[in-house]
Amino acid sequence: MNLSGLLNSALDELLGRIRPVLAVVMDKRRGAGAGILMGNGLVLTNAHVAGRGRSLQVVLANDETYPAKLVASDKNVDLALLEIPANGHVAAVFSEETPRPGEMVFAFGHPWGQRNVLTGGVLSAVTSLRGRQGEIPVLRADVQLAPGNSGGPLLNAAGEVIGLNAMIFGGDQSVAIPAGVIREFMETALKSVPVRAAEGVL
Amino acid sequence: MSNVLVELSNAMAGAAEKAGASTVLVNARRRMPASGIAFAADLVLTANHVIEQEEGITVILSDGAEVPAKLAGRDPGSDLAVLRLEKALAKPAETSSEAKIGALVLALGRPSREGIEVSLGVISAVGGPVRTAHGSIDRFIRTDTTPFPGFSGGPLVDAEGRVIGLNTSGFGRGVGLTLPADYAWKVADQLTKHGSVQRGYLGIRSQGVELSAAVQKLLKREQAAGLLVVSVEEKSPAEVGGMIVGDILAGIDGQSVEDHDGLFARLSGDAVGKSLPVEILRGGQPQTLKIKIGARA
Repeated sequence: MNLSGLLNSALDELLGRIRPVLAVVMDKRRGAGAGILMGNGLVLTNAHVAGRGRSLQVVLANDETYPAKLVASDKNVDLALLEIPANGHVAAVFSEETPRPGEMVFAFGHPWGQRNVLTGGVLSAVTSLRGRQGEIPVLRADVQLAPGNSGGPLLNAAGEVIGLNAMIFGGDQSVAIPAGVIREFMETALKSVPVRAAEGVL
Repeated sequence: MSNVLVELSNAMAGAAEKAGASTVLVNARRRMPASGIAFAADLVLTANHVIEQEEGITVILSDGAEVPAKLAGRDPGSDLAVLRLEKALAKPAETSSEAKIGALVLALGRPSREGIEVSLGVISAVGGPVRTAHGSIDRFIRTDTTPFPGFSGGPLVDAEGRVIGLNTSGFGRGVGLTLPADYAWKVADQLTKHGSVQRGYLGIRSQGVELSAAVQKLLKREQAAGLLVVSVEEKSPAEVGGMIVGDILAGIDGQSVEDHDGLFARLSGDAVGKSLPVEILRGGQPQTLKIKIGARA
């Protein structure tokens, strides 16, 4: 196989890894965003996608639809954790490595409601943004995003999650919440679901 | 996990890191800072239009050190400027003059203290020469990278982390262009030595005229056109060298001159101060004058 063939099969593999853990998060009034499965019936998404958590639904890759309960939400870092009455699904794999500007990244989500769309680019910057309560670390990438990508993963070339896409500036710059911030959020959030914390998610 | 995609990704990140070590922040305007490329331990090349003040310029290096700098030279024609650092602490960039259409490239900038910023793209076109508002540039590279705010003066980098050009949005209409490294470095050299780009000066006004087959035979080459001299400035290099109105300029230093672009190309900075053979047609007969090329003020 030539190099482009090898690249394409690597992309296939990446898609195969991420597709089962990408969910659609919707409520009845507002449009859909994305979310990723964290194991044990937990779904990570953006706080602005989850809103106040009323009548939320989560649609999995196999089209199973579940009502979702808002477990935790932190508007400062734009992260929310949902729970669905389902178990045994695969969980997203998070990267342990420090993200490097220039590395290839992929965004996966549902831009404009179109499901499972992959866009590629490079990590533009490891930087920070002024949040509601001080500076928060963020990743910027030059991947194309649109509404509906919110809550979807930003992946590295190995298909591991390095961040959660949260904002879109002018179509050519995305902002993602980095894995480190997600870890901290999950630790705090899981204290409100003590039983699951004992099972050791993440 | 490793596959070709991961390897490619690592290579791109490696290229960004390597070139990022020579990519500096340039603090020379009140608005957002811009970027620059170190081409010697104490010299930084940047875009002329981002230098809005001559006092209090500072440069922030890849390790975060902030170094005061002085403007060593600037050229609005090519939108390039050279800064001299007070301390020789910068890491000079490695360059390459290879720019092939379709090649993967990264545009780099250092618009903040938080580190480099990167945008991916391909080389879309290579063109030139082109006239600009204040002069002309020999060659340019177009890419589909995104010029983020503060990217002007930063490098365009190949997949191996070599600098193949300097990015600028200074030519107006929001269009980003890349000045090829070999051209930009040549200008940088002149700016470092002279503080400005020298352009040769003859002191004539001319217009294009066709050369007849008979004249071409006398010239012993095929040359469809030359430049008819319609005025000669007093005490100019052309007058001193014996050129008069009515001469047809056909060549300089052994190379033919058919139009104004050709004349500009022959009167580059290298020609200044040199006595060059200037080929003319006077009364239909070829003659060669010796003219010492002056410097355009």
